[in-house]
Amino acid sequence: MDKKKLQIALYWGAACGGCDVSVLDTNEFILDIAAACDIHMWPIAHDGKYKDIEALEDGFLDLAMYNGAVRNSENEHIAHLLRKKSKVMVAYGSCAHIGGIPGLANTFTREEIFESAYLKNPSIQEGNKTVPQPQTEVDGGELTIPAFYKRVYKLDDVVDVDYYIPGCPPAPEQCKAVLSLIVSGQPLPPKGSVVGASERALCEDCQRKKDEKMIKQFFRPWQIIQDPEKCLLEQGIVCAGSATRSGCGVRCPDSNMPCRGCYGPMPNVVDQGAKIISSVSSIIDSQDPEEIDKILSGIHDITGYAYRFGMAGSLLQRSVR
Amino acid sequence: MGFEPRIVGFLCNWCSYTGADLAGTSRIKYQPNVSIIRVMCSARIDPTFVLKALSMGADGVVICGCHPVDCHYISGNYKAMRRFPLLKKLLKEFGVEDERVRLEWVSASEGQRFSEVINDMTDKIRALGPSKIRVQLDADKVER
Amino acid sequence: MTTECKIGVYVCSCGTNIGKMVDCDAVTGYTKNLPGVAVCKSYKYMCSNPGQEMIVKDIQRYGLDRVVVAACSPRMHEPTFRAAISHGGLNPYYLEMANIREQCSWVHDDHQQATDKAKALTCAAVKRVPFHEPFDMQSVPMNSASLVIGGGVAGLTAALELADANQPVYLVEKDGKLGGNLARIDLTSPYLDSAKDLLAERICRVTKNPKITVMLNSEVESISGYVGNFKAQIKSNGEAVTDIEIGSIIVCTGFREFDASKVGEYGYGRFPNVVTSFDLEKMLKEGRVVMKDGKTPKYVTIINCVGSRSGKYNRYCSRVCCMTALKYANGIKSAAPDAFITNLYTDMNAFGKGCEDFYRRSAERDTIFMMFDKHAPPTVSAAGKGEHFNMLVKVNEILSGEEVEIPADMVVLMVGMEAREDSMNVARLVNISRDKDGWFIESHPKLDPVATSTDGVFIAGACASPKDIPDTVAQARATTARILAKICQGEIWVEPVYAEINEDLCSGCRVCNELCPYSAIDYDPVKKRSAIISVMCKSCGGCVAGCPSGAIKARHFTDKQIFEQIEGVLEWASSRA
Repeated sequence: MDKKKLQIALYWGAACGGCDVSVLDTNEFILDIAAACDIHMWPIAHDGKYKDIEALEDGFLDLAMYNGAVRNSENEHIAHLLRKKSKVMVAYGSCAHIGGIPGLANTFTREEIFESAYLKNPSIQEGNKTVPQPQTEVDGGELTIPAFYKRVYKLDDVVDVDYYIPGCPPAPEQCKAVLSLIVSGQPLPPKGSVVGASERALCEDCQRKKDEKMIKQFFRPWQIIQDPEKCLLEQGIVCAGSATRSGCGVRCPDSNMPCRGCYGPMPNVVDQGAKIISSVSSIIDSQDPEEIDKILSGIHDITGYAYRFGMAGSLLQRSVR
Repeated sequence: MGFEPRIVGFLCNWCSYTGADLAGTSRIKYQPNVSIIRVMCSARIDPTFVLKALSMGADGVVICGCHPVDCHYISGNYKAMRRFPLLKKLLKEFGVEDERVRLEWVSASEGQRFSEVINDMTDKIRALGPSKIRVQLDADKVER
Repeated sequence: MTTECKIGVYVCSCGTNIGKMVDCDAVTGYTKNLPGVAVCKSYKYMCSNPGQEMIVKDIQRYGLDRVVVAACSPRMHEPTFRAAISHGGLNPYYLEMANIREQCSWVHDDHQQATDKAKALTCAAVKRVPFHEPFDMQSVPMNSASLVIGGGVAGLTAALELADANQPVYLVEKDGKLGGNLARIDLTSPYLDSAKDLLAERICRVTKNPKITVMLNSEVESISGYVGNFKAQIKSNGEAVTDIEIGSIIVCTGFREFDASKVGEYGYGRFPNVVTSFDLEKMLKEGRVVMKDGKTPKYVTIINCVGSRSGKYNRYCSRVCCMTALKYANGIKSAAPDAFITNLYTDMNAFGKGCEDFYRRSAERDTIFMMFDKHAPPTVSAAGKGEHFNMLVKVNEILSGEEVEIPADMVVLMVGMEAREDSMNVARLVNISRDKDGWFIESHPKLDPVATSTDGVFIAGACASPKDIPDTVAQARATTARILAKICQGEIWVEPVYAEINEDLCSGCRVCNELCPYSAIDYDPVKKRSAIISVMCKSCGGCVAGCPSGAIKARHFTDKQIFEQIEGVLEWASSRA
């Protein structure tokens, strides 16, 4: 172990693995990282164990990058462990930042989720009523699995977070830029900063032509033939780009899909979904309540549009039960 | 004393706030459960304000603006008119009861109507019971 | 920020207006412990000189940098207390008021609950005020030329008044001649002066005045800019377009008469001798009151409130019809001395100067007055064959309680005033609002009756509500007083409360562009940023709430300030629960 090297750990909580792949997607740069760092844990690529981390002195790690949301007690346990052992804790990716896709589960209760996954799922064998239990008695002994929380949390709901790298997943070049900065030893931005993203919205980098906006009808992307040059929102496609930080490289609109907001809210915005609702409805071209309702009926699943990634980080955080 | 709802009212300066003032100068009595926050126009009311109030423990939120056509700012109230149904759609998906959030048009001369809106809303929310939003958010911090 | 602030909080008991219902000592007792509060006092009349002095002295003594006054509505005394703290050396925008009178003590009847609410409202103000920012008034140059839209008596008067003060005026009239509705009238009530005489002198002076550019057969095509600095395009004779630059705009577009054919029971359009007041004016101007067959009528019935004060048509009173109807008694008598005149009315509104005398004089002449209930209006039907008159008017006379049948050769319908059919277009053109009846809305119905919500745009005469000639002329002159005052100052001071776009956060998405009712948002296609022209912004905040990027700030109504208020009113409530 070379103490001159940067001591780091990467971890996935409730995640899909995309964040880890985005780190790997830095291509050859990963070799520079490997040269500059000692990696103590990185489940997707490295065989570090929890006990190895537990054995480290507190604050030993220079950097811990946590991706994924906090869905169960294991996610939280490791978040606390890494926090204790690290000087800098980074929430990496949308899930750690604002809850991400797993956060959408906050519209349901734990019981509903279990029912859907373990009881009513068509692939469940008839009569099988097994639902995960944190403790199970087996042959006189007790087996435990992590407790499934009643809702999804973002990382900073459970531990103190120093920096956020947004995105689902973060763009590899952003990951590279942030890691390079840390490796270089240059001064870091103020604690709590969102790094690897722009202070301006996606529209800044989106090359589609923007005009004044008045909407008579909303469409899902497949319902119309798009004008590839024109702002998607102007075409009636609910695009979250104007309410979302840029930094992703305009991946979605450049692929003719609207922005879904994975880079999270703008610096001054408290609730990204509220802003999406406010702006999209403001530009409806009608002053008649009935017509407005009719136009709005073209927006299906408003929760999905407003909080595709930001549910757990929103003001309401979860549905009311 | 039983449950007393806490309601936050966002009122536009020119019509509704003046209408609420008129209820005062006319000494029209209504229930004390609404606390009013003045904004220049109902168009200023960001859905964020409503969510913020609910997350802070409001049992209800009422938005009041000038009647359609009557807006001091020509068309500000139409912006509120467009935003409100989409916000309601979202709140419904979040399980927030319909009675808790309202949009009402109250003109500067409708002190009486303002008092009726507040009384009606207070009664309905009192019957509905306290909002669980804040309680739930607080509980989430303690018990996962 | 909060910890650095030194807030002075003043709780007014307003004599007993607040103190009777709200325990002001309890409010001060609670408030003085809130973070940032340096001094908290209660006083019987904060708006009085000693009350204001108290604030001024405390600002110095305690080094206050924010002031909260819990008293009446800010719509009442915000200017008073802003001036007071300004006198004490603080920026006026460092004030916040909590409305514990109109929205608390006057509307609640439980001492405890009213006191609790007063605490909550005061707490919200105390939490908000540290986030207030100082602003200075902004100054813009004032173009001394004015645009007068409409060449009726209001427009003529306004144009003359400005030109007499040596200021240039563009007078734009849609019609081919000046005079407006007044030119359609014969004599005026109550003194029976000739309308023609009133007008001719004015029109003559207007057309001769080198300071006034009269544009007939012309309409305003577009208006841009802001107070002191408007640009307008005038289209004349359907083609030629003139560009003008003006500092002020006076809208004097007048009214149109109610369409009497809407009231089926009066038979207008069905019976040839049912005429409107304007039809009769035309006859009176020609000097002969005759029926369609050329004969002189023997029985004339005047019906008041046609289309006015009605649940079915217009609810408002048109104000001039009562006296005009009295005038007709005289006019008809002159043209047809043997005529027998009946005046059917709902209420006789003789409110103006000389009008009550005029009513008495008319009543003494040969006019029969009959009162009807506005919910049960008279009906007009054809007379039976062989009668010596051609119509029969049936009315439930409410003073006698009898149903009366009146013979009539001619029925005169006193049609009320309505907003013009193009009032919506005019309102959009100059960016002002209309009420539910289509009348233009004044800035304040009592204290600012000729200004509008758009700075530099004024309204005069019957485009704002039904008016008689004296009121119209007074309003026209009032507008010019306002304009001349601004011209004298040479520059105008504009409220510094407006919305502003943070260029560092704007991505040029253009969501806000269409949201501004005043076209105050400019998009720069090169920089790809939107920006607000501050003097054109009226601070409605529509763009602020609509901006998806949170890049627009509403001065004095920021998100943060409002969040603090929300927390404030609920914090009190939570601590109680």
